[in-house]
Amino acid sequence: MQLTKRSRLMDIAGMLLPAVLVVTVPAPRAWAQSLSSAATGAPVQNAATAQSFREVVDETGRTVRIPQPVMRIVSLAPSLTETIYALGLQDRLVGDTDYCDYPPEAQKKQKVGGAINPSLEEITHLRPDVVLVTRHLNTLDTVHSLDALGIPSYATDPRNVDEIGASSKRLADVLGAPEAGAAVAEDLQHRLDVLRQKIGALPPRRVLFVVWTDPLISIGKDTFIADALRRAGAVSIIDSKQDWPQVNLEEVAHLQPEVLVFADSHSETTLQHFEVLATRPAWRTLNAVRDRNFVVISEAVNRPAPRIVTAIEELARKLHPEAFVEKPASDKVSGNTISNAECLCAR
Amino acid sequence: MRPLTIQRLFLQCAALAGILFVVVIIALKAGAVEVSLFALGRDLIRVIVHHGGEIKSDYGLIVMNIRLPRILLGIFVGASLAVAGTGFQALLRNPLADPYVLGVSNGAALGAILALLVSPHLALLPAVADLLTPLGAFLGAAATIAAVYFLGRRDGQIDSTTLLLGGVITGSFLAAIIMFLMTSETGSNLRGMAYWLMGNLSTSLQPSVYWILWIGFLLGAGAIYTTASDLNLLLSGEKEAMHLGVDLPRVRLVVYIAASLLTGLAVSVSGSIGYVGLLVPHVMRQIFGSDHRVLLPTAAFGGAIAVVIADTIGRTVVPPAELPVGAMTAFAGAPLFIYLLRRRMV
Amino acid sequence: MVARPTAMGALRLPGEASRANTELRLSVEQVSYAYSPNPTQAPLFTLEATSFQARAGEIVAILGPNASGKSTLLKLIAGTLEPLSGRVRLNGFETHTLTARTRAQRIAMVQQESQLLFPARAWEFVLQGRHPHARALRFESATDIAVARNALAQVGAAELSDRWMAELSGGEKQRVILARALAQQPLLLLLDEPTLHLDIAAQVDLLHGLRHLAVENRYTVVVVTHELNLAGEYADQVVLIQRGKCLRVGPPGVVYQRELLEQIFQTPLSVELGPSGRPRVNVVADRESR
Repeated sequence: MQLTKRSRLMDIAGMLLPAVLVVTVPAPRAWAQSLSSAATGAPVQNAATAQSFREVVDETGRTVRIPQPVMRIVSLAPSLTETIYALGLQDRLVGDTDYCDYPPEAQKKQKVGGAINPSLEEITHLRPDVVLVTRHLNTLDTVHSLDALGIPSYATDPRNVDEIGASSKRLADVLGAPEAGAAVAEDLQHRLDVLRQKIGALPPRRVLFVVWTDPLISIGKDTFIADALRRAGAVSIIDSKQDWPQVNLEEVAHLQPEVLVFADSHSETTLQHFEVLATRPAWRTLNAVRDRNFVVISEAVNRPAPRIVTAIEELARKLHPEAFVEKPASDKVSGNTISNAECLCAR
Repeated sequence: MRPLTIQRLFLQCAALAGILFVVVIIALKAGAVEVSLFALGRDLIRVIVHHGGEIKSDYGLIVMNIRLPRILLGIFVGASLAVAGTGFQALLRNPLADPYVLGVSNGAALGAILALLVSPHLALLPAVADLLTPLGAFLGAAATIAAVYFLGRRDGQIDSTTLLLGGVITGSFLAAIIMFLMTSETGSNLRGMAYWLMGNLSTSLQPSVYWILWIGFLLGAGAIYTTASDLNLLLSGEKEAMHLGVDLPRVRLVVYIAASLLTGLAVSVSGSIGYVGLLVPHVMRQIFGSDHRVLLPTAAFGGAIAVVIADTIGRTVVPPAELPVGAMTAFAGAPLFIYLLRRRMV
Repeated sequence: MVARPTAMGALRLPGEASRANTELRLSVEQVSYAYSPNPTQAPLFTLEATSFQARAGEIVAILGPNASGKSTLLKLIAGTLEPLSGRVRLNGFETHTLTARTRAQRIAMVQQESQLLFPARAWEFVLQGRHPHARALRFESATDIAVARNALAQVGAAELSDRWMAELSGGEKQRVILARALAQQPLLLLLDEPTLHLDIAAQVDLLHGLRHLAVENRYTVVVVTHELNLAGEYADQVVLIQRGKCLRVGPPGVVYQRELLEQIFQTPLSVELGPSGRPRVNVVADRESR
């Protein structure tokens, strides 16, 4: 059998290719080596570059050494990006994920990919002082990869609304802006206190928080969303330990929630979708569907960032409108009679 | 010598139908809400006799509008997948064939995902919008059926090996596209999509869809049944079947299209529920033999029973959450398959 | 010899009076075959124009070395291949123009092995032979069962009826496969190298049985083989093929000429008359002694 010239060329290429790879791949590692030697091997006070470090323990219990001052930050979660803007540190944000869309200016930042599988190359290229991750969205894999590259990462893990404030404060400390952190946390607490004053005494409304309809997915009782609902004067009828339980429609029909809560920044989509749901016999077993008792609130409720309070306030207003009416001194509106004719979906 | 007679076939089907009936009753009773079947039956009769009016009781509504449709859907999906699996195992002469081996389910999944992405941008009547996902899934399935058919031909006719290769390649290709779409889609969409792909019966459908499903099942299963004796001969070998008078090209075409149609319909409404199409034919073959004139109807019953049981367990075992039926069938199916394999029954 | 098409080849029902040996059943007229492996290449001639005729009750052996075109000729006779030129006629009907079902009612092909995908019992297997006669979706009738039982008896395999096919020995399986062919109640019985995997006793058994069946049930049997002596002993006619060319047709005594056989099989041979009056071919061991 004769080897044609072409097949011979292919053979040679096939043999050379691995050699080429072996030579070129180490290059990024070499870069990482230089980074890590600055971050880990050297003593705390490096005489040559006068780089100082600070050792902190992040919210997952890891000890991390973060170079000071922190000038270049990469955020790997939309909630963390929002928090950075809330803290006023956006000038130091050099990169964020494709999904970081709030505030709108965040979209103009350098993108490093998704939250679950960001591009390590892009991150390395940005030479961050610290990469911010959060346990509920980012993966351990990413954190390990960053460790291997010698890039410090700081993880947050707020489990409820109170912790969101505390976590933001801690983050501000780590990033070297403690006053901003205190201000944000205080503002959050203040607004939550005001809210509690207004609706704390009212009986909570029983709601179903709808994440997805086909199949029906809701939220577990240990999630921060469930806590947010409680602050807004609502309680999720789903009592599950899973974070995103797939729920049996029968169960919901049995429990008959008063109101369905959707989170969507584009309420027209949800409005259309609700009309579709209302045509299905199975869903019509829910009183809330038949009577059109549903609300749409901002997607901020899905993100453990300071803006969640805005969503909580929005929900509280819609569920307990009587508590937000400017009442003249002589008048009193009795607590919780809301006529079914009132469409809670209007913004 | 005990050849098949129509009496024996009828008896065997009746026995299975009886088992299915019992399973359905149990499924109707099981669930989040306590149901008195006696009271429900009484209400039902009252409704039928008085022609109209609705069942007033809470539990009645729940059972009629949520539980019963779900059970009916389970029967349809189980029967369709089992019959399709039997057909493909005969067509491809491969005991490991299942309804998804030719890529139809991936085509349906892709169609459903595309429909989900597109539907917010279309202004549709609510009832129509609701049909968009199953319709998209079915169109995806149909397109895949056509594509694999053209790939699977040799000298103008379907060739089993070529068909299998073409189907597997197409399936992988479609799976890659699905993976790409899933990773580029945002948060909550992704989660819902993953659940859809896992296969579950909790999608609530418009009543009109049920009619389409049942008519589709009768057409598809009926078409395959007309080739039942031919399929028996196919098991001896393709050449032998030809020499015994089987019109091989016609049989291949009919079985391919009918089995793919059944799979497409099932996947459009329930995602990819696994192991039913693969294992139910084998179990029924153990019990009733390889004669397709018996195997096809008993597989249909067997599939229905299996899916209804799996779904009932899935929705009662961790209330208020439920486990997708696809997970339940995999959980039971994988060990069963290993068992059959070890005992050389596959 | 002029081939006269007879009346429509009806199913032979048991008890039909047998006609005299002059009935011509199979007529192969100048059939040839060629195929192109791919569209751009010139076609290869697998078989050049070949002719022979056979009557009811006759055994025809198609003989030749490997890759001589024997199997192609058999497929042309079976009607599964369309001849490039010429015709194959069974009782006047061109086999290729019949539908698969009609063909299966008249022509039975006996395979060497059976690749059963799922287990089956012997009687199930034999009953498959009734498929060409059954209507779709009809279950087997009493006639079908009787024919199948009879077929098993005729090959001496009645006691194997309830056994699983996979458990049978090679020879037993061969008999059941033959029974299935008989259950088709064909006019023409085709066998492609049936003796390949059989020992000498089984080989003789088979050919002897075929001869018996051919006479009793008035089949025409066409056997492809390269066993010179078996063919010589049992065949009424021999068709000698080499490299796609039909070199000689006729009874063994006429066809078995030493020079011709040596040319075909490329090895020294000697031909002598056996005790039965049929020619016997011997291999000459010592190539130098000539």
